[in-house]
Amino acid sequence: MKRKVGIGMLLWALLISLGHIQLNLGWSALRKEVAILTGQQREELVIGFLPVT
Amino acid sequence: MTKHSDEGTLFRSKKFTDWPTVKEALISKEIGGVFILAPMAMQLVADGVPIKVVYLGHRDGTGIVVGKDAPIYDFEDLRGKVVAIPSRYANQNILMHRMMDEWGMPYDSIDLREVPPPEHPTALRAGAIDGYIVGEPFAAKAEVDGFGRVLYHTKDIWPEFISCVMVVRQDLIDERRELVQEMIDGIAKSGKWLDEDMQHRMDAAEVTAKHYYFQPPELLKYVLSKPEDRVKYTNLAPLRADFDEIMELAFKIGVLSRRVEFEEYADDSFVRPLDQLDWNMGRLPREGGDQ
Repeated sequence: MKRKVGIGMLLWALLISLGHIQLNLGWSALRKEVAILTGQQREELVIGFLPVT
Repeated sequence: MTKHSDEGTLFRSKKFTDWPTVKEALISKEIGGVFILAPMAMQLVADGVPIKVVYLGHRDGTGIVVGKDAPIYDFEDLRGKVVAIPSRYANQNILMHRMMDEWGMPYDSIDLREVPPPEHPTALRAGAIDGYIVGEPFAAKAEVDGFGRVLYHTKDIWPEFISCVMVVRQDLIDERRELVQEMIDGIAKSGKWLDEDMQHRMDAAEVTAKHYYFQPPELLKYVLSKPEDRVKYTNLAPLRADFDEIMELAFKIGVLSRRVEFEEYADDSFVRPLDQLDWNMGRLPREGGDQ
């Protein structure tokens, strides 16, 4: 019984995490974060400019 | 002028052509920050956009230009004339009103018209306007091409003039401080490098003319050297006294919808003493630029 509850909790946590990534973060953003953390990609910052002066 | 910093972060530039798109790009987090006109940054904050001015783009680098042979020898001679400004949200507009105050002229004594900066020189040459006030290199263009002359450089009428400022999103300041610091340090280092040696300026003119400005290198060399203090890239900390003056004038002439306090729109905590920053580089790398 304890094992079933444990597995259920893990699956629930996994489901919530996947839902969070899908709804709030986005898979491409996650892939980018992982690539930056693992050193495969450089961190990036986009700076805009308005050539009006 | 490399695409990435010494720390390895990739900085990309993105060109915008209108203000509402910049506002949307900041709100949607498409961009982390933007170089923008100082009064425009204040109005964005007044509109509730969570951004802060963290650094300046440059000091001075603006001129009031008139026809080479026009009978205009001081500011009073602009009375009744048509003068182009880059935008009502430009500090150049605030400067024209500041000058009218100084010379005791009513605000309607000069016909100020918004004209896109690249069109200023051609409009003067065609006789559509009597003068213009704009940031470089468009002031120098009339001089170099021989049909205009600078009536005033900002360094002589409003020393340490502020035109463009660097703003970043508040969430980046709160959550990615180190990234913002890296960028500000990079701007400060490159500014110090530019101002410490005329050869550095000439080198920068060559590289930026080709990859960033798409202007003749000779024009940029002229801007960066005639005179040497025509535009400056040091003293770029956002100072309260400078901004308070701009804000009060902008509110007075109706450019700002409300007064905004310095703490609302500025964060000077990223400014580091220049003697702690160095960019050990003799020449700029000859590589392609961003779009």
